[in-house]
Amino acid sequence: MLGQVVISGLLAGALYSMVALGLGLIFGVMRVLNVSHGPLLMLGAYTTFWLFQWLGLNPYVSLVVSMPLLFMVGMGLQRLFVRRVVDAPELSTLLLTFGISIALVNLAQLAFTADLRSVEFLTGSFVVGPFAFSKSRVIACAFAIVITMAAFVFLKTTRLGKAIRAVSQSREVAQVCGIDVGRIHMLAFGIGSALAAAGGTLVAVMVAIQPEMGQVYTFKSFLVIVLGGAGNYPGALLGGLLLGLIEQMSSLFLTTQINEAVAYVLLVLVLLVRPTGLLKGRAS
Amino acid sequence: MSILLWSLAGALALGWSLGPAPAHAQAPIKIGASLSLTGTYAKPGTYQKEGYEVCADELNAKGGLLGRKVEFVMYDDQSSTQTAQRLYEKLITEDKVDAVMGPYSSGITESVAGISEKYKKVLVSPLAATTSIFRQGRKYIFMVISPAEVYLEGFVDMAAKRGLKTIAVVNEDTLFPKASTAGTVELAKKRGLQIVLQESYPKGNTDFSALLVKIKAANPDIIAAATYFDDAVAITRQMRELNVNPKMFAVTVGGDIPEFYTLLKTNGEYVYGATQWDEALPYPGQKEFLGAYTKKFKHEPSYHAAAGYAGCLIYAEAVKRAKSLDADLVRTELLKLKMRTAFGDYAVDQDGFQTAHKMVMIQWQDGKRIVVWPDDLANGKPRFPTPPWNQR
Repeated sequence: MLGQVVISGLLAGALYSMVALGLGLIFGVMRVLNVSHGPLLMLGAYTTFWLFQWLGLNPYVSLVVSMPLLFMVGMGLQRLFVRRVVDAPELSTLLLTFGISIALVNLAQLAFTADLRSVEFLTGSFVVGPFAFSKSRVIACAFAIVITMAAFVFLKTTRLGKAIRAVSQSREVAQVCGIDVGRIHMLAFGIGSALAAAGGTLVAVMVAIQPEMGQVYTFKSFLVIVLGGAGNYPGALLGGLLLGLIEQMSSLFLTTQINEAVAYVLLVLVLLVRPTGLLKGRAS
Repeated sequence: MSILLWSLAGALALGWSLGPAPAHAQAPIKIGASLSLTGTYAKPGTYQKEGYEVCADELNAKGGLLGRKVEFVMYDDQSSTQTAQRLYEKLITEDKVDAVMGPYSSGITESVAGISEKYKKVLVSPLAATTSIFRQGRKYIFMVISPAEVYLEGFVDMAAKRGLKTIAVVNEDTLFPKASTAGTVELAKKRGLQIVLQESYPKGNTDFSALLVKIKAANPDIIAAATYFDDAVAITRQMRELNVNPKMFAVTVGGDIPEFYTLLKTNGEYVYGATQWDEALPYPGQKEFLGAYTKKFKHEPSYHAAAGYAGCLIYAEAVKRAKSLDADLVRTELLKLKMRTAFGDYAVDQDGFQTAHKMVMIQWQDGKRIVVWPDDLANGKPRFPTPPWNQR
């Protein structure tokens, strides 16, 4: 029983990590807490749904559409709105992205209606001994790991990735070194949104799709980056897996009813005891 | 000067309130309601709204009510009790509607019942199934559907008749599913079934893995889930993913609406659902209702639509008999009324608590909703037992 729950927790956790990495990236580079992260994920899920519905496109193949599409949407949002609040007090950034979030959810409601949709693809599971591995969750987990790794490699080795990390470490110094900070901000927002979109595509196969599906991922991502240390990218990975496990474990040993409470109590504890996150976060 | 002004204003006000009588007689009767058109209850809430609309069309086609056209004023409460409370206040005090009808779900009905009582408005509540709402000494609230407690009576009965011994019961942690679970547990115990697991989960929960793992470990013969819709779909899917194989599996709400099968496709096969109504049931006015509904909305109604429709007809009938919109006169008629609509029977006790309507159990068979219980209304036999997922 425990084994099965650990499996479920890790499968869910890998996905949380990937989605939270997007949020963490945006926060790290711009110091903007993007409340509209979840709704961007929702748009990714709808992209997959419609491609599946209209063209019968394999939902996993639709990653090559949903990620670039939301990358563009993210850059657009940054260019039009978020850019204006980068240096404003935190409350302004929260309010702005909260506004974007409400607008996106309502636009989706208008365009797609509040009907539940689903992508019935790969239901069922691989049964190995006493354990069941949900097919869609295993594949989502695999994709999440690959995409997260790719993002890490990109950040570590490429020139652009290094520029992004430089901006997130010190904007002034980066600027002095000749990095176009405005462009990096836009790209980071785009990449963050693309990661949310990847999350949307992957969960589209697992849960019902509706305009309000995203918000819960915004909160989960907050939890993950606080657990892992805001601005600490490997921390997001650890935080995601941890959150997945905590949720499942508390459902198993306590009741499903309070698993969210457990996760948030933990959040408060981490903030009190180790405000920099479990791995050492970037001092700000 | 000021005297002149005052008398002018007075004259205007007087003229306004007396008004030309015929114009007043022709003003439509406005019936207000808030419904969950978005949020968790969007699906059933929308069906209910459509039911109200079909009823209004039907009344208007027959010359309206008390010679006046019937018009619904409906808002979206976003499945939120707070929003619904605000909307009913607004409907009654700002929009000045002539009457109100109930919202969707027991929780929201409970939260607005105080408001309709406060303003002495009759509240026929077609989609509130929790007994406690009607047992608080409220005067103006009326129940239309069968209470939550008996939703799975048929499920427990079928299981007991087949000699099954153990049951797991799970529910969303809100008013209706809780009452439904309490009733199911009671009925199960009475029939000698052993409760091997009982647990609730929060509203909006999407991941049921750990809960289902626990259920799997408890290995019950049957699983009963007191659900709304999203959770019914999610639990069924995840049962397949985690290879959970009870001999029978039933959900209370959500399992009976067409979208359940559209979303789950063949994974929805063998699932039992409880329903207040099915279009195959031989009730009077059924054909007319189905015809009008499918013509207007291009899809089939669920029981929510039928209950909304019937609730509105019941209210209208009481108004006709009272020959007035006065809440106390209409209330007296509603208490006396015995009526059979396309939705089934209506009669209430002195609390406005439903006493005549009957629940049925359906099972999804080859994409069709087959009524399998009770025997006298059934149009098919249950496919029993539910085969394990890997043998389908």
